Amino acid sequence: MHRTPVTWRLGQGAGWRPQLDGALARADGLGFLEVVAESIDANDLPAGIAAALLRGLEVVPHGVSLSLGGAERPDRGRLAHLASVAERVDAPLVSEHIAFVPAGGRESGHLLPVPRTYEALEILCDNVAIAQDALPVALALEHVAALVQWPGAEMDEATFVRELIERTGALLLLDLSNLYANAHNHGYDALESLVRFPLDRIAYVHVGGGRFRDGVYHDTHADPVVPGVLHLVEELFALTDAPGVLLERDDDFPPEAELVAELRAIADAVRRGSEHRVGA
Amino acid sequence: MSAPDREGYAARQAQLLDALLRGADYPAGFVAAQADAAGRSLRRKRARAVAHAWPALALQLGDTFDARFDAFARTADAPASGDPLRDGLAFARSLGRDAALGDDARVELLLARAALHRRGLFVRAAWLRRPHRRLLVVARVPWLGAVHRSVRGRPAGGSRAVTRGCRRRS
Repeated sequence: MHRTPVTWRLGQGAGWRPQLDGALARADGLGFLEVVAESIDANDLPAGIAAALLRGLEVVPHGVSLSLGGAERPDRGRLAHLASVAERVDAPLVSEHIAFVPAGGRESGHLLPVPRTYEALEILCDNVAIAQDALPVALALEHVAALVQWPGAEMDEATFVRELIERTGALLLLDLSNLYANAHNHGYDALESLVRFPLDRIAYVHVGGGRFRDGVYHDTHADPVVPGVLHLVEELFALTDAPGVLLERDDDFPPEAELVAELRAIADAVRRGSEHRVGA
Repeated sequence: MSAPDREGYAARQAQLLDALLRGADYPAGFVAAQADAAGRSLRRKRARAVAHAWPALALQLGDTFDARFDAFARTADAPASGDPLRDGLAFARSLGRDAALGDDARVELLLARAALHRRGLFVRAAWLRRPHRRLLVVARVPWLGAVHRSVRGRPAGGSRAVTRGCRRRS
């Protein structure tokens, strides 16, 4: 068991994408960037990432293909790659998803949900332990947004995530947009769910944009952050001082001013929440 | 406690994947409306990535792009790398001659084929009509990368114009 303490203060961050390179290099007040590990060659870092390291920003590698929720054990080569990127950028931690990607020998290219059963939890814990053994730094796990739910759930999402974090000692990458999406689309209260996540184990927080289509909320990362998600940011920081909060934008990249405004809106929500925190 | 059943777990995941990506029947117990929405969303995401990587092809297919891509995606998985350029190449090939690609889409296809060519020499040529008549030759040479030459046909000014470009291996 690898129960790592959270020793970092990341502050405000953004998901690094080549299309955002210039805007992120100029953005004020960023403490960290997150890079998709699979898109990076440890021996040939993108210039924007190398420059960010020189400016003193933390860089967190974010894996998307380990398939920790899959039936197969995580691939050694993919783990070695994630480890090499983490070492190259001197990362305080790396993150991955509570999801499966390939199945039956076929790549889906998507992060698909796992059944919330004790059996799935056990397989997930085994896979996470294998990953932790192969990684040089702490691992944080992100719960995903899922339009489809497996039948026969034995617990709700917050309980499933709490069990997983407790059993593996991994940290939580809390994605407030995913939480919002699942609560909206599956008809439960986001805030009531939020308070039951293991908030004391947060490594950092994801916030991404989305849109409503036919009453369904889609976590697109291609639209502005909706007010309901910003409200969750505020509520979270009223409860706890999370070590970092990061904006994810992956598509339909906005003009620089809009990106800066999005970052500011998140920082404002953090500040409003923090002002209301008991004992702050 | 007995060891978890990884094989049964794998089979159930594969069955869900088939349903979401290829329109097969869902495993028992899934809410059909939820699963349909999830499948549509996943296929739309893949289609968008390909449309971004293949702007000329997307422009030419216009409103028919989504339906054609959906039909393709139900029979062909995305490449393991997830690379939309490679995915789009398979899609473009699946269209066959019926699509009657215009010049821009043909150039895009030729450049993508050169970029994705991995072993040995690749040389192809295409006769293009717009914006002017020319022969486009695209080659990918081991260690050198992709090279293209455009030779203008029957130029108004008399002499033949050659434009050239070179993109080094990435």
